Amino acid sequence: MNVPHAHLLALAAVLFGLGCLGFLLRRNAIIVLASIELMLNAANLAFLTGSRMHSSAAQPSLEGPIFALFVILIAAAEAAVGLALVIALYRLKRTAELDSSSELRG
Amino acid sequence: MAETLFYALALAAVGFAVGVISARSPMLSVLSLLGAFVCLALVYLLAGFQFLAGAQVLVYAGAIMVLFLFVVMLLNLADLSKVAEHPTRVLGVHRVALAGGSAALLGVLALLASRRIPDTAADTAMLARGFDELEPIAVALFSRYLLPFEAASLLLLATMVAVLVLAKRARAPQGPREQAQAVDAHGDARGDASDAARELEGAGLR
Repeated sequence: MNVPHAHLLALAAVLFGLGCLGFLLRRNAIIVLASIELMLNAANLAFLTGSRMHSSAAQPSLEGPIFALFVILIAAAEAAVGLALVIALYRLKRTAELDSSSELRG
Repeated sequence: MAETLFYALALAAVGFAVGVISARSPMLSVLSLLGAFVCLALVYLLAGFQFLAGAQVLVYAGAIMVLFLFVVMLLNLADLSKVAEHPTRVLGVHRVALAGGSAALLGVLALLASRRIPDTAADTAMLARGFDELEPIAVALFSRYLLPFEAASLLLLATMVAVLVLAKRARAPQGPREQAQAVDAHGDARGDASDAARELEGAGLR
């Protein structure tokens, strides 16, 4: 595939923007978590594009794939803890709407 | 050919992403997220990252998706009557248009900003054998990145414990002293059984 790097980066930017908007606009805890996963995926694509830009046959750049691997790991841990929090919230409030917990708003 | 496939996959990924943030029910949102993950895995494959594409499918589309679907099913959030209580919380058409417009603007900005990026054509030899060969990654992971690797294993262990603690049901009072305290807190000296019977009676009278 011989696509310009700029197009890969543009795809990453669009996906990150959409995830960011979902995170800010939606009130359902599960959809907010899904938006976070979308943003992490966009970051992964940017890391891999960077690795592609700086790789040559003589000197392959491994930082991109290794960082992407760690991002996937962090995303798995974050999803597990986030969903456990959603379950705890649901047990307490009988809803997964984030607006229902505003005790600390002040 | 591969280029056309890339643009088609990119369009599909953006469409699925819009689906994630604009879906009415969490179920549809999570299924759209699955579509976006699969599209991105195919993009990784096209870009020459075979190992990462496999990891993406295994971890994201496999493990994380199962977790999401499990929680959605468990909580029964597809209850649309609850959504109807908050009509403003569901994205309308104009909000989706706003979100799509903002994302498109971001993409155009990224395109403009990345004009300065030197567009070296990808090495054909590198493309053929892939950018993320397993052996160099494994060697780097166990030599240069050994400390982050071990830290990641600790993080996973801590996550497991944290999830167990968070998702565990709160312990019911067991000892006689705790039971007495619970009854005192209820403001009633009578036992739990008669209390429950009284509540049932009251509900029946109404």
